[in-house]
Amino acid sequence: MATRNRSWLFNKYRDALKGARAPTSSSAAATVKLKASSGGAPAIQMASNSLLHSKRSYAALSTEDPGNSSKVAATIGLPPAWVDVSEEIAGNVQRARAKIAELGKAHAKALMPSFGDGKEDQQNIENLTSEVTNLLKRSEKRLHKLSANGPSEDSNVRKNVQRQLATDLQNLSMELRKKQSTYLKRLRQQMEEGGDMEMNLNGNRPKDEDDDLDDMMFNEHQMAKLKQSEAYTVEREREIQQVVESVNELAQIMKDLSVLVIDQGTIIDRIDYNIQNVATTLEEGLKQLQKAERTQKQGGMVMCASVLVIMCFVMLVLLILKEIIF
Amino acid sequence: MVLVSAVRDYVNRMFQDISGMKVLILDSQTVSIVSVVYSQSELLQKEVFLVELIDSISKSKESMSHLKAVYFLRPTSENIQYMRRQLSNPRFGEYHLFFSNMLKDTQIHLLADSDEQEVVQQVQEFYADFIAVDPYHFTLNMPSNHYYILPAVVDPSNLQHFCDRAVDGIGAVFLALKRRPIIRYSRTSDIAKRIAHETAKLMYQQESGLFDFRRMEMSPLLLIVDRRDDPVTPLLNQWTYQAMVHELIGIQDNKVDLRSIGKLPKDQQEVVLSSEQDAFFKTNMYENFGDIGMNIKRMVDDFQQVAKSNQNIQTIEDMAKFVDNYPEYRKMHGNVSKHVTLVTEMSKIVEERKLMLVSETEQELACNGGQVAAFEAVNNLLNNESISDIDRLRLVMLYALRYEKESPVQLMQLFNKLASRSAKYKQGLVQFLLKQAGVDKRTGDLYGNRDFLNIARNMARGLKGVENVYTQHQPLLFQTMESIIKGRLRDVDYPYVGNHFQQGRPQEVIIFIVGGTTYEESRSVAQLNASSSGIRFLLGGTAVLNSKRFLKDLEEAQGIARTNANVV
Repeated sequence: MATRNRSWLFNKYRDALKGARAPTSSSAAATVKLKASSGGAPAIQMASNSLLHSKRSYAALSTEDPGNSSKVAATIGLPPAWVDVSEEIAGNVQRARAKIAELGKAHAKALMPSFGDGKEDQQNIENLTSEVTNLLKRSEKRLHKLSANGPSEDSNVRKNVQRQLATDLQNLSMELRKKQSTYLKRLRQQMEEGGDMEMNLNGNRPKDEDDDLDDMMFNEHQMAKLKQSEAYTVEREREIQQVVESVNELAQIMKDLSVLVIDQGTIIDRIDYNIQNVATTLEEGLKQLQKAERTQKQGGMVMCASVLVIMCFVMLVLLILKEIIF
Repeated sequence: MVLVSAVRDYVNRMFQDISGMKVLILDSQTVSIVSVVYSQSELLQKEVFLVELIDSISKSKESMSHLKAVYFLRPTSENIQYMRRQLSNPRFGEYHLFFSNMLKDTQIHLLADSDEQEVVQQVQEFYADFIAVDPYHFTLNMPSNHYYILPAVVDPSNLQHFCDRAVDGIGAVFLALKRRPIIRYSRTSDIAKRIAHETAKLMYQQESGLFDFRRMEMSPLLLIVDRRDDPVTPLLNQWTYQAMVHELIGIQDNKVDLRSIGKLPKDQQEVVLSSEQDAFFKTNMYENFGDIGMNIKRMVDDFQQVAKSNQNIQTIEDMAKFVDNYPEYRKMHGNVSKHVTLVTEMSKIVEERKLMLVSETEQELACNGGQVAAFEAVNNLLNNESISDIDRLRLVMLYALRYEKESPVQLMQLFNKLASRSAKYKQGLVQFLLKQAGVDKRTGDLYGNRDFLNIARNMARGLKGVENVYTQHQPLLFQTMESIIKGRLRDVDYPYVGNHFQQGRPQEVIIFIVGGTTYEESRSVAQLNASSSGIRFLLGGTAVLNSKRFLKDLEEAQGIARTNANVV
């Protein structure tokens, strides 16, 4: 893995050549510098790479020093509008990721045995889940705005950005679903165990304590227990229902996204295949255009001829009429 | 993982410190280098949103200053010209230039000269100048591979190009591995000798600073051999999976193009066969055809089970599980149909060309003695109507190589028969092969009949019997590697370059075959690496051959030689 950095030599040559060239083109260089030092440059630079990459975005914002970027900014124009959309989605993805981590913690907390009734935990989980689902849904909708048609390079870039974001979204929703299904499983497990315990209680106690009472009757204490557990069951049932609902929503998102995401290990995932593909689509486009041109030309000619023929007929009719009438 | 991971690391490092949206620009060679080790989805993860070729990127004028350009090119003068044009009129925000080999100072000067707007951020040399098709197997994919057959006087400038590319490739492999080797070559080959000496000059004189790594206890060995030492291996039909696909259909940069074979659904027209991405292929690439059939059947059964479990969705839970497994399911589906298609197509070809029959005789010719029986068998096959022309030609070639000196009369009979049988037979191609790769030209003991030890070993093997008639052939390379392991590679046959001699056994050996490798040899290398002999072998060549390519190279060389003979 040896490498050799030739930048130093390159810069040396470049500086030397610049020195040699300077007298002739000093005015041009001055205008470039002027443009670079104007206030807007750093902002543009920031816009162009802010937030795009989730992990680096904050670093890019905070450590980008304006002095360094001004040199580059001279050549940087405003990025196209779709960049904003992609950044927004990237931001959403990042937020969703944080939320999912939070959700994982909340799940763990809710599954722990506690003295309270766990209402707050439930509330928290519900909120988080719906937030994440909403974020994902919104991002997925926005994603469609990125799509472009036509074989230009820009549309290729857009397609690829779209793919990358779609992959991110898909991974996130997978993660979320996995979290939810494990939570669901654990909940069910707890419920079953809880049920068993209650049954045991109901089955064993009467023999010990309730000799004087009718065996078929429950005492007050037991009734209270039963009611409590019933309420508990209803509550859990509702929770499960909710989780299932959000799983279904996610499944829908997943289905929409899977159209965009590249399958790994297939020919579509090959770099050279994609390049060739672009070339062939370009060629095909050209062919289509030529064909269209040809048909258009033909169409014009045919039109001309038919108009002439019709005109001939009309004239003939007029001539005959003229002969007959006059 | 050595070669593949080295190239992957280089690619990773290219994008490491460049934030924001990027465009990757490659040339026709580097596109193969990157494609075999990196995938499109991985590139997307690195925020590389556009990949273009350098000649097509220069056509468009549209400014894309929100993108940063990462160039990965071979340092050819053509590419430098393209670069100069593009730098003088920059379209992208930043330019990061990576070259796959050593740049000359004049080239850097030229680049610096055209960078008037100071858009270039860095110029680096990343030595990924070889195509790592498998972890232990690289190729240089040279388009004009036939030059190695020609003597130096015929076309000096093209031969120089050929040598330069080979030396560049070998140099890059060693830079990527951070080693400086001891160099040996096969005695009888002029081209191997020339490449060996030029490589030594590069490593020990011209760029000795660059190749000066931390001293190893034991220097690795670079052995440069000639394809003509073993012309038999590329002429044989293959029965192990990877080699067979290459022989019957053709593998190019780990891709198989099935369009020529017949009508297939669109997603099956071109498939990827990469041991890195396909677990089934990885475990089965060296298995023989029969076992492949069994394993594929097992895979299909597994898949059916999964498919069945996906069919009965009744509860919401089933549904959730299905959606969970869906991507996996889809991937499996693609993989299963890919391998089934390949094996089906191959067995069709085997049936059509009667390859079972042909291959048995081929293996007899390559491995066992018995001239009379061999003549009989070849003669019969030549009479057989259903044998294709190319297989006839190969049979006669194999016979000629084996019994060149023993029975010239019968050889002539076969020549005549071949000429009368197939109209397409190029006159004198077999003779040309004998002239080029005959017994006097070869280093090493191809048929194991030159010294008594080998003859005895062959007889012992004959008595023991063989497991599989179709895969009994071992390439010459296997013997060479075994003698390296035992430390018995003869200094007379494989002399050293300069005064760097090997003491003791090397731990790493890179064998470079001028004229191209075969997948059969790649299999031997992988098997020896798997058995713990303490030595790691890497195999490289100027191309990856199958019989078609080998014969084509031979034909082209013959054509050039003939026109030259006429001129002189």
